[in-house]
Amino acid sequence: MKKMLVALSGLVLASAAMAGDPLGLPEVPIPAGNPQTAEKIALGARLFNDIRFSSTGDVSCATCHVAATAFTDSPLRVSEGIEKLTGTRNAPTVVNAAFNKTQFWDGRSPDLEDQALHPFLNPVEMGLPDHDPILKIVREDKEYAKAFKTVFAVAADAITMDEVTKAIAAFERTEVSGDSPFDRWYFGGNQDAVSEQAVRGFAVFLGTGRCVSCHVIEQDFALFTDHQFHNVGVGINDIQEKVPELARAFQVAKNEGMDVDVAVLTDADTSHLGRFAVDDQLSSMGAFKTPTLRNIAVTAPYMHDGSLMSLREVVEHYNNGGVTKMGNPINPFLSGGIRPLDLSEQDIDDLVAFMETLTSPRFEPTGDGTVASGDM
Amino acid sequence: MKKIALVLLGIGLASPAFADEFTKEDTDRWMTQFEQVAAEGRRLWTSPEIGTNGVACAQCHPNAANTHPETYPKFQKQIGRVIQLWEMINWCLQNPLEGEVLAADDPRMIAIQAYVYKERRGVKLDPGKH
Amino acid sequence: MKRIDTLNSRRDFLKATASGVIAGMLPVSLVRLASAEEHGADFTFAYISDSHIQHIKGSNFVRNWGQGLIRTVAETNLLEPKPDFVVFGGDLAQLGTKPELDHGAEILAGLNYETHVVLGEHDYYLDLGEYWSELYGKHYYSWDHKGVHFITLNSILTYDDWTFDRWESPERRMNEMAGLDNPNGSPFMVGEKQIKWLKKDLSKVPKDTPVVVFSHSPLQHIYKEWNFWTVEADEIQALLKPFDKVNVIYGHVHQIQYNQIDNIAFTSVMSTAWPWPYPESYAQAESHLPIMTVPMNRADPFNERDATGWQFMNMHTGRVDLEFNLYNNTNRTVAFSEEKGRPEDTTFTDSANRIPAQQHF
Repeated sequence: MKKMLVALSGLVLASAAMAGDPLGLPEVPIPAGNPQTAEKIALGARLFNDIRFSSTGDVSCATCHVAATAFTDSPLRVSEGIEKLTGTRNAPTVVNAAFNKTQFWDGRSPDLEDQALHPFLNPVEMGLPDHDPILKIVREDKEYAKAFKTVFAVAADAITMDEVTKAIAAFERTEVSGDSPFDRWYFGGNQDAVSEQAVRGFAVFLGTGRCVSCHVIEQDFALFTDHQFHNVGVGINDIQEKVPELARAFQVAKNEGMDVDVAVLTDADTSHLGRFAVDDQLSSMGAFKTPTLRNIAVTAPYMHDGSLMSLREVVEHYNNGGVTKMGNPINPFLSGGIRPLDLSEQDIDDLVAFMETLTSPRFEPTGDGTVASGDM
Repeated sequence: MKKIALVLLGIGLASPAFADEFTKEDTDRWMTQFEQVAAEGRRLWTSPEIGTNGVACAQCHPNAANTHPETYPKFQKQIGRVIQLWEMINWCLQNPLEGEVLAADDPRMIAIQAYVYKERRGVKLDPGKH
Repeated sequence: MKRIDTLNSRRDFLKATASGVIAGMLPVSLVRLASAEEHGADFTFAYISDSHIQHIKGSNFVRNWGQGLIRTVAETNLLEPKPDFVVFGGDLAQLGTKPELDHGAEILAGLNYETHVVLGEHDYYLDLGEYWSELYGKHYYSWDHKGVHFITLNSILTYDDWTFDRWESPERRMNEMAGLDNPNGSPFMVGEKQIKWLKKDLSKVPKDTPVVVFSHSPLQHIYKEWNFWTVEADEIQALLKPFDKVNVIYGHVHQIQYNQIDNIAFTSVMSTAWPWPYPESYAQAESHLPIMTVPMNRADPFNERDATGWQFMNMHTGRVDLEFNLYNNTNRTVAFSEEKGRPEDTTFTDSANRIPAQQHF
């Protein structure tokens, strides 16, 4: 697999200075049923960017997952789909999503292939009634048909969403990035790669900040996520009184066939139920997946609802013990491990400086801080 | 015989003349010294004053159970790298006990480790194991 | 595609077993059990135990334990369908002080259900349960509910001379009892008075009435050094022997344990505060953990709520099936197997299903 990735031509890969996996990352997991090939990846890239796969004909995956902003739509708080309709959640990055054990903030998709199915059908994303319009396009477009034939050995009229999502997933598996200043310092041994302040910040990250327990780093690579779901007091804090009734109503509706994907993206309060909406476990109330911190400096705003504008605000939220405004009541479902941290202002600044070293060279803002504009 | 020899030589040493010749007296004495340190470790283990919130190590680790000293060094998830036992003890001091860390060579850290290992004596080494 | 199929089949399953109950809040297994029985009133009750509210100073309590109880109460209140009552299994406080008992009682008062409380040693040894009684009444008692006879015992008493003569102050006495591994401790018992009371109470109960006993100590001999022990275990078990179906539920151990001795099914409950290691993990001593227990997962010390939890019980045909609600972990169900005649973990009894976190040294 490693060799396969390196041999691919004409594609923008993570700017790994050396052959093999980018520094600081493990091998990309490739499912047996969807091996990587150059043609499949190229096909996936086309599909990813195709705005025809929406009810208004102007929204694609790339609309919310913009390459230049690390495949998010920063600085939008929540994403805008067709007709600029807004959802309830902040677009997660596609970069390094290949390493996630589940997809979406609440982990309701088990893999990239499944994940790709849903935004097409969500009324505030691409707004399609079903996948047929997509299949119509790929079957009738001669270039697509030819590509699908080459990649999957499938005749045009037999193309299904299975092939479509496999191609998209294959493309997404090439969007991995490591080799950040942190990687070069911590794994690469380059003492000058990060500032002294960032080194102090890393000590806070591992020690009094307690970040490392969920934003995991390991002996020779760092994904900065434990793949688990935690209630950190975002969103749910604001609906604490409503939770019993909201949870109950949600369960009743779900039992009667309501689509979870639609519900959580179209109602802000429901969105805050988090993982509970997916696995029905009381202990998942208000819990969301730990996201990676790679490239975090360029993907503001933060949290599942985009409610925290800056990294400093995020650290302050944790420092307060899981409330954005110090002294606000914490919600009773707060995850074990979230507690007031007693960090000093210096600690917070240092921690932010450390997080800013996690941006891969490819996504560093250019020149005076403006970001290169969008298209692939 | 030895005693007389020493007196005659005018050296007047109380201990044996050769480096590798411990006597049973020595090893017993040293074991006692170890036991004293381990006893101090036990005192710290049950003390509500070692952290700042009154929680004692023994509350979660009666008789130092579930500390698994024989598995260190090992990768420790909470710290993000392979560490030794004393670093994990420090993690506990900082986190559940909300206190300050101790240096590796702090007499208190040595005492705590002495107690932990003593309660775990006889278990075979298994570094790295979870 | 996988995910949608799973959801569909679960929906269909729930529809098929619907018995007027909002199935969504409960794990599927419980619904299956509740609706499968034709006879006997099925009902559920919740069990919360060992909160160990610990006072630091002023209005400061150890945040970790307080948070555990707060979270448990919030989750229990979400249960649907609602349990008939909640039992608190003992050790509300850590050192039995008034601030601790008050703080714990305040949190427990947030429960939306009728609550029955069991005494634990940490509640008792400071003032011998005096303030506790002001809050919760009798130290031991019984009641009947939907055809089941419930008994609550005070099973953390000990020898008179240890209780009254040995220590120079109540605080000292409490501190000595508070250390689980303290060699100065003293074994738990119910005492003669309660044995007499129990005999009398049971004499009025028909032999085919299911009996459930709530106790803090295990009413078994498990590991004496950590007081996983009740001195009169044999005697009490003998008193319970004539009954067809007996369940004993005990706290104190802060871990999953279950056992069958003749006609009695024993199940422990978790602590909401912190877990304890299994006695067999103490290398210097022999212990007798019930062999049939599948161990709980080894705790992750970072996640304060890991290996802590609360329970709800389903009473059906006089047996208690118990669901351990574990945070950030797969819930565990220990159900009575009619076929094997004992409680069994419905998922992990088969060693092929076990995960590495269930191995202990």
